[in-house]
Amino acid sequence: MEQNLRDFYFFSDLFKRTVYSKLGHKLGRIYDLVAQREEPYPKIIGLIIKSKLKNERFYLPWEKISQIEPQIIFEEEAPKDPSSSIQEKDAILLREEVMDKQIVDTFGAKVVRVNDLHFLRVDSHLRLVHVDVGFRGLMRRVGWEKLVDKLLQWFFSYTLPNQFISWKYVQLLSGSDLLQLSVSQKKLSHLHPADLADILEDLSGRERTAIFHALDTETAAEALEEVDPKIQKALIETIPIERASDIVEEMSPSDAADLLSDLSRERVEEILEGMEQKKAEDLRELLIHPEETAGGLMTTAYLSLNPNVTVEVAISRLRAEAPNLDIVDYIYLVDEEETLLGVVSIRDLLTAQTHQILSEIMSSRLISVKIDDDQKDVVDAFAKYGFRALPVVDENNHLKGVISFRSVLDVLAPDAG
Amino acid sequence: MNDYKKLMTSSRHSILRTISLFFILMGPGIITSNVDNDAGGITTYSLAGAEFGLKLIWTLIPIMIALIVIQEMCARMGVVTGKGLSDLIREKFGAKITFYLMIGMFFTNMGNAISNFAGVAAGMEIFGVNKLISVPISAFLVWWMVVKGTYKSVEKAFLVACVFYVSYIITGIIIKPNWSEVFVELLNPSLNFNSSEITMVIGLVGTTIAPWMQFYLQASIVEKGIKIDEYKFARFDVVMGSVVVHIVAFFIILVCAETLFKNGIKIETAKDAALSLAPLAGKYCSFLFAFGLVNASLFAASILPLSTTYLICEALGWEVGIDKKFVEAPQFYGIYSLMILLGAGTVLYPNFPLIPIMYFSQVINGIVLPFVLIFMLLLINDKKLMMNHTNGPIFNIISWLTSIILILFTILLLIYLS
Repeated sequence: MEQNLRDFYFFSDLFKRTVYSKLGHKLGRIYDLVAQREEPYPKIIGLIIKSKLKNERFYLPWEKISQIEPQIIFEEEAPKDPSSSIQEKDAILLREEVMDKQIVDTFGAKVVRVNDLHFLRVDSHLRLVHVDVGFRGLMRRVGWEKLVDKLLQWFFSYTLPNQFISWKYVQLLSGSDLLQLSVSQKKLSHLHPADLADILEDLSGRERTAIFHALDTETAAEALEEVDPKIQKALIETIPIERASDIVEEMSPSDAADLLSDLSRERVEEILEGMEQKKAEDLRELLIHPEETAGGLMTTAYLSLNPNVTVEVAISRLRAEAPNLDIVDYIYLVDEEETLLGVVSIRDLLTAQTHQILSEIMSSRLISVKIDDDQKDVVDAFAKYGFRALPVVDENNHLKGVISFRSVLDVLAPDAG
Repeated sequence: MNDYKKLMTSSRHSILRTISLFFILMGPGIITSNVDNDAGGITTYSLAGAEFGLKLIWTLIPIMIALIVIQEMCARMGVVTGKGLSDLIREKFGAKITFYLMIGMFFTNMGNAISNFAGVAAGMEIFGVNKLISVPISAFLVWWMVVKGTYKSVEKAFLVACVFYVSYIITGIIIKPNWSEVFVELLNPSLNFNSSEITMVIGLVGTTIAPWMQFYLQASIVEKGIKIDEYKFARFDVVMGSVVVHIVAFFIILVCAETLFKNGIKIETAKDAALSLAPLAGKYCSFLFAFGLVNASLFAASILPLSTTYLICEALGWEVGIDKKFVEAPQFYGIYSLMILLGAGTVLYPNFPLIPIMYFSQVINGIVLPFVLIFMLLLINDKKLMMNHTNGPIFNIISWLTSIILILFTILLLIYLS
């Protein structure tokens, strides 16, 4: 069908244009565009017009639009389908769900607001290829594009550039797309958890919750570790208990303990009950310690071994447990009573002979902190000795946990990142 | 383990918990109300008392009802949607309307910023400090506090200093007004439809229900992250705040009416307004007044430019945040600095009429308010957005009436002026 389409369109070019019937009657003005929910570039499958007389909205399928330029002409004499006939599951209403809304730019890892949409003609169809988030798009919407262009040319010989984001990288946040999130969230999953955390912080309540719901357990746990405590709390309170248990289980024990210490007792108990027994016990243990002491900073996800073990066994143990460990830089050596005897760094392990036993290569000049030491003392110890982790012991020199450098960073620069 | 259990059981007592929850959630409403009594507010109330005596004091009752209703709507929208007012306006009404509204907000709030720096200038002049010194220093102070992020800790100091408004209440009591006469006036609405009284009523509404306060209140509610089931505390906070503003406003008008109006003193400079506190403070009345004015002006001057910048940038989709670098958020820093520079700079103009500017910026607030209100009403009655938290009929009637009356008054005023 020859619709006489231009090669490119903006949403603002089409919005509010009048649609005529075959005989030249005015049917109404374009109110919305309907795109098919498909990857990577959604096709426009129809228009929604607002009829002038009755203030009703109708759906016009794209196949029945016989011409776009210079006038939009609908093949039939009167529109039949009310706009409510569109299946929202397979279609995106572009004005309702995309225009003026916030989206996640998964390439630049930030939340931005959509000013306009950019379509490209492919055969006799338009496909949505870019969202415009720039000042130029905003001026186009307001109707000042030409004016601003002229002014900038005149004064600065400057042309305002378009600021496009490819639709490939766009994650919608509003409307029915949220229900589809679990399907389309692969766009989100290639973000770094720290970026994802920033995005969660930038979003408002409902959208934040929806995005968080859609993440798989592991990603959710990683992102949650990086989120601001106040928002952490709000997020964990919105999800069902079983899922909360799963997520907390995946988090590093020291971060999980910090999070739980902000929640109500009932909630903490419910979450802990849903968790694996051993992890829950570790967390209960960590929760006793006030947050601003060494005990409040430590994690229990470290590896401790008997000093009589060989290097070979130690390496294989480390390899097997590494995915669940917060501390992989050191192995701590303890006797049956958990008394701290020495420490072996990963460098020591790699440079030793495989048959050597750990007590031969361990360093027994031990630096440790007491479990009720103030966090300031912990920071001082890190600064003084330059270790990547420090063991925490009780008054009988029993190993209770390990503090990682990362936790210290949170104390030193709570607002950074 | 035991410590932890003890800690948790102690917070279980439900009354204690309710009270502590209230103190945690309290704040946005009280702070918003106190910022509301800024330089423009104090000036407008003083002028109302000095020029019209007790004649217009009755307007405080309908204004208070409208303020409670409107701020409650903002708080509810903030809690239910988790979004700021300008976000919601942009998402529902599109780029074009929002852009023009933001231009309007920029100029209106520019007027408010000027009035706050004028407040600093007027207050410091009583202490004998020239405005060429006080205004640049306060502008720098405000800019520095906000950019360096120390504002939050200073906020409480400002809030505590607001206790100085009590001096109006004490004065109001010691001058022994004829209370029965006051109550008759309070309950006896009368208004001559001439331009000066209509201007004053618009100014009174505009200063108490300032448009920018609604954006600010909703933003602080969102920032606090209050949940729907905790909403009743936020509502109480908002109502309390609105009542407090009106008690202070009532006494300022009363004191000015009983002292200045009865003696036929017209307010032309800040010193004249200070005279109203003479019965309480004698020769120190000027200092008491000046201190209150400077505190109120600085308090508002540090919140208003920042809040305006946030609401504009959020609506137009620009990066915001004082934790960003200049190149990351040029519009944010640009608008913010422009507001402070222009706000403070305008006041430095020789022979700048401080009192009239503070007053007329509030009248402009009153003229802009109905438009913001209409947007709010359309938003809060949107079922898709608010679900089952839309407005009831009474709230709708009160807010529509407020908008319509204000629009009518504005039209009347334009007719008189032309």
